[in-house]
Amino acid sequence: MFSRKFTGVLSALLAVVLIGLVPQSNAIAADAAAAKFKGKMKVGITLHPYYSFVANIVGDRAEVIPLIDAESNPHNYQPQPNDMKRAMTMDALVVNGIGHDEWAFEIIKAAGRKGTLPLIYANASVALIPINGDQGNAKVVNPHTFVSTTAAIQQVFEIARRLGELDPANAGYYRSNATAYATRIRRLRADFMTRFAKLDLSSFRCATMHAGYDYLMQEFGLSISAVIEPRHGVTPTARQLANTIDEIKKANVRVLFAEKYFANGLAKPIETATGVKMYSLSHITGGPYTADKFEVEMRENLDTLAEAIEYTAHNPKGN
Amino acid sequence: MPQVRIILPLSGRLESVVFFLATFLLVASTVGYVLLKPKNEGPPPLLSWQVSSFDGLSPVDQAIHSALLPAADEIIWSNNDTGTWPSITDLQSTLLPPFYEDNFWKTNGEVKWKVIMPGANSTAAVGPPPPSKTNNGLAAFVAPNAVYQGTLGQGTASYYGSGGTAPGQSAYLIVIGHAHSGVYWINQATLWIHKNPNAPFPDILKPEGLVARGWRQIIPYNGASEVERVKGKDNVQ
Repeated sequence: MFSRKFTGVLSALLAVVLIGLVPQSNAIAADAAAAKFKGKMKVGITLHPYYSFVANIVGDRAEVIPLIDAESNPHNYQPQPNDMKRAMTMDALVVNGIGHDEWAFEIIKAAGRKGTLPLIYANASVALIPINGDQGNAKVVNPHTFVSTTAAIQQVFEIARRLGELDPANAGYYRSNATAYATRIRRLRADFMTRFAKLDLSSFRCATMHAGYDYLMQEFGLSISAVIEPRHGVTPTARQLANTIDEIKKANVRVLFAEKYFANGLAKPIETATGVKMYSLSHITGGPYTADKFEVEMRENLDTLAEAIEYTAHNPKGN
Repeated sequence: MPQVRIILPLSGRLESVVFFLATFLLVASTVGYVLLKPKNEGPPPLLSWQVSSFDGLSPVDQAIHSALLPAADEIIWSNNDTGTWPSITDLQSTLLPPFYEDNFWKTNGEVKWKVIMPGANSTAAVGPPPPSKTNNGLAAFVAPNAVYQGTLGQGTASYYGSGGTAPGQSAYLIVIGHAHSGVYWINQATLWIHKNPNAPFPDILKPEGLVARGWRQIIPYNGASEVERVKGKDNVQ
């Protein structure tokens, strides 16, 4: 029979050994991943939000490599030789895959990585919605799932899940980081929900230059009445523009959201023709790649949205 | 008087035959390619008791469904980590839509959510109904109610939302059951919808039982479905 004192000493020793094992097991996981990927796993990304998502998921246990240069416009992008060089070094590539980065598949093919580069479709488990206010009322998939908070969180989880499959030694770490990051994004959303709760949303009618904001509007219980561009990145014809202006007037649209970083000469004339007030939202697809870019630009977007709602609440009839 | 001399090609007949043969081969190969080219069939068609999240739901149902999908992931992860199913209060404390009572909740009908555990006797209870004493002093179980019968032994937890008041509102059900072993996550969620926003909690959670009681399974039209539709099944990873 062990004495109480001996049992106490034994327990203390066991605790010390177990505490010592925790960092050691983390080190073993990191070593296993390093052996598999010849150093850190290199995770490629196609769009700015995916840089933020992946950087927050992998922390310092993988390297995040943008496929194209930071200042490139991902709309109608033409692949460059450097893109292929980067594609050749990647262990996996995170793609939107539903229409916003089709050029990535050309780069993969040109780099000879088709079939050998694991692709992580960020939207694989995201419920897609059609473009609201589409001309002709067609049900066209909106690929801008990353301009939102709820669909962004779903993508963070999907990316973490797939990275965990590719790098099982770090799966738990990735999932834990993904959950913490999701909590931060949700906190951001909740902060604005509190602000929106005090506002009257009933008179809010909006149009957008670009069909990029359905997911964002959906999660705040709002919808879009008209979209100026007939298709992604396509300038409307004179007839299409005239029809949209009619729709804006009929639907008593009060607010037009233009693109913050992509100049469009039509926004001002539409503002003049219809009397709508123009605001700018970010597509989160320009500027330097940073881990906090998504949170920073989403906060700005939500600020802008709140301002627009406040404007319509205070000017219900366009006064 | 000018002399006219007609010169016939030596291989005139052969050239015509070769020309028509080449034309025929070109047309036949083009038609054959078009007919035999493998088509991207896309996702399988929906069954009569299923509804697509893309074009089969009202805007309010679509918004709630979009929030339920990541919520189901988090509920399952929470269960994997803690071994228990999070309560509605737990979910609200993490600000998780559509449970968190914020502006989204208000504009989407203020749905009332309940969590129902396997074998629960009521929407608040966990486990089998408590024993009661008979006249002879022996313990006997109270006659189980429909919810108890519906959830006992099925290994499922469910989250049930009803009482919403928005136009086009339905009742909602997340049924979390066990998938086959060997997959990365063993719990799997299916989402169901009932066109009556006040539909009672079903007395059975098996698909055939839910269908018989008017519930329809929501099939998410997600990125994997879109990739399959546009690029074919081989491109879905």
